[in-house]
Amino acid sequence: MASITLRDLTKRFESVVAVNRLSIEIQEGELITLLGPSGCGKTTTLRMIGGFETPNAGEIFFGERPVTWLQPELRNIGIVFQNYALFPHMTVWDNIAFGLEMRRETPAKIRQRVAAILDKVQLSGMERRYSHQLSGGQQQRVALARALVVNPAVLLLDEPLANLDAKLREEMRFYIRHLQREFGITTIYVTHDQAEAMVLADRIVLMKDGRLQQLGSAEDLYRRPHNAWVAEFIGLSNFIPGTVVGRNDGQLSVRTAAGVFACTGEATTGEVVICVRPESLHFGPQHPNRITGVVQERVFLGNLLDYRVEGPDGLRLRVQADPSRQFDPGTSVEVSFAPADAWVVRPSEA
Amino acid sequence: MAGVDAAVSAQAPAVPARRFPWVVLLIVPILIFLLIFFVIPYVNMVYMSFLVKPAEGAYIKQFTLGNYARALGDPFYWKILRNTFWYSLVTTVITLVLGYPLAYHIARVSRRWRGLLLILLISPLLVSVIVRSFGWMIILGRVGLINQFVKSRGGPELHLMYNAFGIIVGLVHVYLPFMALSIAGSLQNISPDLERAARSLGASPWRAFWRITWPLSLPGVFAGTLLVFVLAVSSYVIPILLGANNVLVMPMIIVQMLLDAFNWPLGSALAMVLFGLTAALLWFYIKLMNRALRWSVR
Repeated sequence: MASITLRDLTKRFESVVAVNRLSIEIQEGELITLLGPSGCGKTTTLRMIGGFETPNAGEIFFGERPVTWLQPELRNIGIVFQNYALFPHMTVWDNIAFGLEMRRETPAKIRQRVAAILDKVQLSGMERRYSHQLSGGQQQRVALARALVVNPAVLLLDEPLANLDAKLREEMRFYIRHLQREFGITTIYVTHDQAEAMVLADRIVLMKDGRLQQLGSAEDLYRRPHNAWVAEFIGLSNFIPGTVVGRNDGQLSVRTAAGVFACTGEATTGEVVICVRPESLHFGPQHPNRITGVVQERVFLGNLLDYRVEGPDGLRLRVQADPSRQFDPGTSVEVSFAPADAWVVRPSEA
Repeated sequence: MAGVDAAVSAQAPAVPARRFPWVVLLIVPILIFLLIFFVIPYVNMVYMSFLVKPAEGAYIKQFTLGNYARALGDPFYWKILRNTFWYSLVTTVITLVLGYPLAYHIARVSRRWRGLLLILLISPLLVSVIVRSFGWMIILGRVGLINQFVKSRGGPELHLMYNAFGIIVGLVHVYLPFMALSIAGSLQNISPDLERAARSLGASPWRAFWRITWPLSLPGVFAGTLLVFVLAVSSYVIPILLGANNVLVMPMIIVQMLLDAFNWPLGSALAMVLFGLTAALLWFYIKLMNRALRWSVR
């Protein structure tokens, strides 16, 4: 068990900067996800932490111990790959025993530890099978058992659920969370699936183009995004461009083509974008910020109705409302939103 | 296979009558070709090996086991057989030792480099074996490049050619690509994540290789060693050119018997003995490899 510190970590591949001055501190026993679109540098970061890539600059610490230049076998890590990377020429038992053998444990201890972890991942009775005789979910659990049996200081998971079908994926999310809590092991989980990140993570590291965009809880990222890109990547959002024209009492006044709105947020001057989540827009005038518009489209999503509303100056809004009241396309409506739900950020560059 | 059979039989009732599988006809041309140019000559050779060689003429149609008695009873032939298998074995081992690192490198470089390296690896095959053997003569000969260099430094004349050494150099050169390609094919199918997983579990690079990569590459190693051994056993041009007649191997003896001594029955019997012994060796080898590859049986 150890905390993990990344300090100004940088990795270049020829002319591409895969990871750009990334600094993160991960608490002992914490599960964080590295989230981002493909090519954002999350896998490269994981590989540097695992010792499979050497950073061009920066440092990595496990606890107080610098590991930046340490070979992977000396780092005491457990890793689960997207394709599980089970050794195909070894049985389930031999796969799991491999790490203990490398640590030169006694046969008696190996037997006891492997049996115990097989029981824990509910694979007792499967020990003589080869990986091609297992289902995807079983392979996944063997990979987890193999990584955990050596009591690693750090558990690294590289999109471990990407190859499972949707239903199993959902189950395994909770299962991994449960195992991680039980072992209390510091875990870094790479994924491009924001739902997965939100279910699993204590905190999410959101990356784009090798740079940290935001580090925080799922709620932080959803409610208080640092920039328009974060707001767009996490969940759905309406973006209303405008200019800050005043501030008082922690509230900002932003002038837009649809009027002046009272908002909250971090960006306090100049050109900004107001982010309003579709479920924060309500039909009717109950909130101080109001926009009138015409319903263009309505889609039934079961638990809610998804509307496209066109406001003044071509402003297109997405509104998600409960299905108790329905508005037909062509209806004029008034939508309103609370200042607390209007989050102001800087516009994305370029 | 069981799954495929099940799928086929599940579909079967939908087909009203058994239709003739016309696709099978596509292999008829190659079957005819092999029948005319391989099976019939081979059968003819087996037949020939049981005929009597008269003092005058090629053969008379009379059954005898005498050719086999001579082929198997003469210590001279046994010595040559031993030579042939020994040189082939040495060639196989050297191509394996040289070819494995080469294959490993080819399998691990980026795709762009891999193409280039494969072309470089295959390019010697574009030159005929005879031309390449003459090339080796220029390098290995009494007044060849190596000897000129050694002698200019006051060294003794080295005997690099017209002996077993020359033959093995030539064989290794010609068959190295076959070995490297077989192994590279196998190595390319091994995910680099497997070695990474082994490293993460505490294996040094060396142990990760021996415990993971090497056993998983054995199918390629077996294919490559089989191929090189069989090709080396049957090689004729290289031993002739680089061994002259100082070193005799079985294919040379067989050709001499057929063409120079005009003894078709005995030549055929010797060819059959070479074939039979090679086949027996390979059978044991394949047994062995199946045991080593038990895990891959699906």
